[in-house]
Amino acid sequence: MTKLTDVLTRLCRARDLMREVHDQTVTIDEAAREAAMSPFHFIRQFSAVFGETPHQARIRSRLDRARLLLVTGEKSVTEICMDVGFSSHGSFSTLFARRVGVSPSEYRRRARSMVAVPGTFASHPFPGCLSLMGPAFAIFEKQQASGSVRVVACESS
Amino acid sequence: MRIKLTSIMVEDQEKALRFYTQVFGFVKKHDIPVGGEFRWITVVSPEGNEDVELSLEPNANPVGRAFQEGLLKQGIPATAFEVDDVAREYERLKALGVVFTQQPTQQGPITLAVCADTCGNLIQIYQPPVSQ
Repeated sequence: MTKLTDVLTRLCRARDLMREVHDQTVTIDEAAREAAMSPFHFIRQFSAVFGETPHQARIRSRLDRARLLLVTGEKSVTEICMDVGFSSHGSFSTLFARRVGVSPSEYRRRARSMVAVPGTFASHPFPGCLSLMGPAFAIFEKQQASGSVRVVACESS
Repeated sequence: MRIKLTSIMVEDQEKALRFYTQVFGFVKKHDIPVGGEFRWITVVSPEGNEDVELSLEPNANPVGRAFQEGLLKQGIPATAFEVDDVAREYERLKALGVVFTQQPTQQGPITLAVCADTCGNLIQIYQPPVSQ
């Protein structure tokens, strides 16, 4: 029992290590060593616990940090790209667009357009607990309503 | 006042929906896009009250994520689901590649086990006392 929780602790620590931004990127082998596992076992265990490979976790964490900096900070896209650990603006923008759906600058523009009070930003980029429920029910009710309209139309024809 | 909805924070809603339906065996009830990249997704248990829903919530809010990661690091389950037979469920989930941080263990009148949901949480499964 202790051993299993110990594995979890080591995996969490390795994930933190993967997510940190260093001058020299931590390799999978180094992270595996930190977790006291072989690289093969490390990747397998990591994926089984976190649902993604160590590399995927690193990319996700970088993109998440970039999103936060784009919304809340003043730095340029290129500076943010470097700050979060990417070395090329091109690959960062491409990856960002693929995962998030819009380019970094477009993401910033949209998020900024939602700013209501200077210095704060609307909750939309980061939904709070159960805050999605309101819009979901509104959409659901609209679907129900349009569904019932269709039924009426069918009956009358 | 009734309890009909509860939620769990997840790293990736699409992946979470797959895990919670294909591995845990819940059934999708709602999946409504709510604008942006987020969806209102709920699942229900095919073995329980089908109007009691579990919402798979994005952990995109840094505050939520900090809480979720804190729990995980301390080995604390985010929530618990009841099962008829913990030992059987443990074997079934293990065969599907689920990692357990606690094997089936007797604790007082209940038997429980703890596993990772691949979405950033630990989940406790427990078997209630027979007399219940």
